[in-house]
Amino acid sequence: MADFWQQVVVGLATGSLYGLMALALVLIYRSTHVLNFAQGEMAMFSTFLAWSILIRVDNHYWVMFPLAVLVAAALGGLTERVVVRPVEGAPILNIVIVTLGLYAIFSNVASWRWIGRPKPFPTPPEIHVAGLKFFGGDALHVGPTVINYHDLTIMVFAALIMVALYLFFQYTSLGLAMRATAHNPVASRLMGIRVGRMLTIGWALSAAVGAVAGLLIAPIVLLTSAMMVGALLYAFAAAVLGGLDSPVGAIVGGLIIGVSENLVGAYTPQEWLGPEMKLTVTLCIILVVLLVRPTGIFGRRALRRV
Amino acid sequence: MRRLAPLRTSTVVIFGVLAFFLLWWIPFSHVLPDVVPLRFAPYRTLEASQVAVWVIVAVGLNILTGFNGQISLGHGAFVAIGAYTAAILMVDHGWPFWTTIIAGGVLAGGVGFLVGVPALRLTGPYLAMATLGLALATPQVLSKYEGLTHGNQGINVRPEVPPPPAFIKDWFGLSLSRDEWMWFLVLSIVLIMLVLALNIVRSRIGRAFVAIRDSEIAAQAMGISVPRYKTMAFAISAFYAGVAGGTYALVHEYIAPENFNITMSMNLLTTIVIGGLASILGSVLGAIGLVVVPELPELVFNRIPGVNIPVELSWAFYGVVLILIMIFAPYGLAGLFHRSVRWVSSWTLRSRAGILVGLVVGVATTMVVGFALGLVAFLVTTAWVWAPPLVGVGARGYSRWIGALTSPLASAGETEAGPEDQSSQDHPDAER
Repeated sequence: MADFWQQVVVGLATGSLYGLMALALVLIYRSTHVLNFAQGEMAMFSTFLAWSILIRVDNHYWVMFPLAVLVAAALGGLTERVVVRPVEGAPILNIVIVTLGLYAIFSNVASWRWIGRPKPFPTPPEIHVAGLKFFGGDALHVGPTVINYHDLTIMVFAALIMVALYLFFQYTSLGLAMRATAHNPVASRLMGIRVGRMLTIGWALSAAVGAVAGLLIAPIVLLTSAMMVGALLYAFAAAVLGGLDSPVGAIVGGLIIGVSENLVGAYTPQEWLGPEMKLTVTLCIILVVLLVRPTGIFGRRALRRV
Repeated sequence: MRRLAPLRTSTVVIFGVLAFFLLWWIPFSHVLPDVVPLRFAPYRTLEASQVAVWVIVAVGLNILTGFNGQISLGHGAFVAIGAYTAAILMVDHGWPFWTTIIAGGVLAGGVGFLVGVPALRLTGPYLAMATLGLALATPQVLSKYEGLTHGNQGINVRPEVPPPPAFIKDWFGLSLSRDEWMWFLVLSIVLIMLVLALNIVRSRIGRAFVAIRDSEIAAQAMGISVPRYKTMAFAISAFYAGVAGGTYALVHEYIAPENFNITMSMNLLTTIVIGGLASILGSVLGAIGLVVVPELPELVFNRIPGVNIPVELSWAFYGVVLILIMIFAPYGLAGLFHRSVRWVSSWTLRSRAGILVGLVVGVATTMVVGFALGLVAFLVTTAWVWAPPLVGVGARGYSRWIGALTSPLASAGETEAGPEDQSSQDHPDAER
């Protein structure tokens, strides 16, 4: 049983990362109905920028962190304004191809610019605030289960971002305007909301969330131009599983996928399933869920007037 | 017996031009004078065969996505089924090559039908995700069940293809190399599949597909059985992918699980959107474009002494071209072509000669405009990347990168892919 809970905890940590990326996807999908295939590469690019910043600021992680998130947000906003805006209102597949183009650009420019060996990336170092120590130590022991500190950090970050976004969307006028835009762009424009600006902010927000995910993934997998590819695909699965228009669904979907993937790897027969097939089995589970609920667990069914 | 759809003059001319281009120019270009930069290495013949395989899948996917409106990100899986069926039948059971191609197509079509049934419940991004799952699972399944598929070591296919008939040598004085003869075989498969596709999309079935795409409810009201035609579209499309897979095994002579990764499915979708949705011509143009565009910088600029473009930038350039085409030619290359034909023919005389002139000029315009767009895009990318670094610190040089869309996605089946994954593949649990 101890082993079981250990697997669950590790799955929850991985799942939080998938959930964060899925959240980034959902933020864009909700407002523009674009599946952003470049999300992972944007996060990877931001992490490389963060790495550059880290060197410039003498390895002060907590100086770099906000700067990196801001730079990522700027990158996201810029991308929306320059590349995505011209195809606004185009058929969905055209926009998908545009994001695939962005994928090619980010991925290749990064691998050209920051060539060489995979770069080690630091985990968030410990800080002392009001006599309390954060982010430090070896591991947390809960009964027989060991929770690695970086895993704990990941889960805490995911929870914090979720809460912050909830507060932002529910209790600020900007958040309200963004929700209105997502709900009905035409009416929002008539009410005086600058719809275009809301979309830019949505992309910026999403890129910032993605960057946080990138910063947390990089210590685990090392910093390379391919580091986000797997995570992005899992994030897609998570977002779809949770329902593409639901931020809560994204996180829940991520957790479900992280845990089930770990359990499938650990507890299915090795001869014909086992760890190599964990992705396949997870995808089958998602397919079954989709067949029962075609718009994901938390997704709303779109009603259309004919 | 249903009559073949009447061939429109424009279709004949278009495919005539294409056939001439593909049939003569590329395979025999090494005997032609040195007039264009894009030519002459014998591998071009092989490349042309690869484009041809690509054309077959693209046409099939376009029937599903362009004509019927169902997005599939999983067509690589059907190509894999066709390729593996053909290869296993050829290598392990000694079937003649042409029967294996048909068998591959039929089996893939059957699987496509089975996938099409649950797909009825899903739409848009949810369908895209479900089919994406198919593409993701394919390499894993292929490498896991080694007894049937030979696992990660792949299958060496040495097809016993009959030699070129004697009349080619007797009448035309040409002795074909293996690649060149293969090219003619593949081209004939392509032509059969193209004619078939043209007839499908212009028949009752094709019109039903389009009606369903535009409005399921209206189609239903007209008496079209929506589930029947939607699954049929999946089956036909998968059949095309299966035939292409068999041809793929024939052309490449070696198949392995990683050939059929998610990259292939993504590239297929790109092909049809870039070429033009709901256009057979578009599928052909898109397939050619997808192969030619990433090579343009190298072909054009690396001929200038002192200029050497790293391969990563060629692929970044490809990304820029994708975006530019989507912004300036939302209906793809086929749309660009039709628009330029219409534009020219509006001020040529409304006579046959005028239309012919219009067509020729249209082809030329499409090529020139496409190339100019590409050139601008490339200059912009270069300027952007070569600009003084703002925050970058990496040393410049060349890595052994094999193109973005190949490498990073190649390991997509693994969690959190990265180069260090190569080592962790043996211990999938040890990755954390």
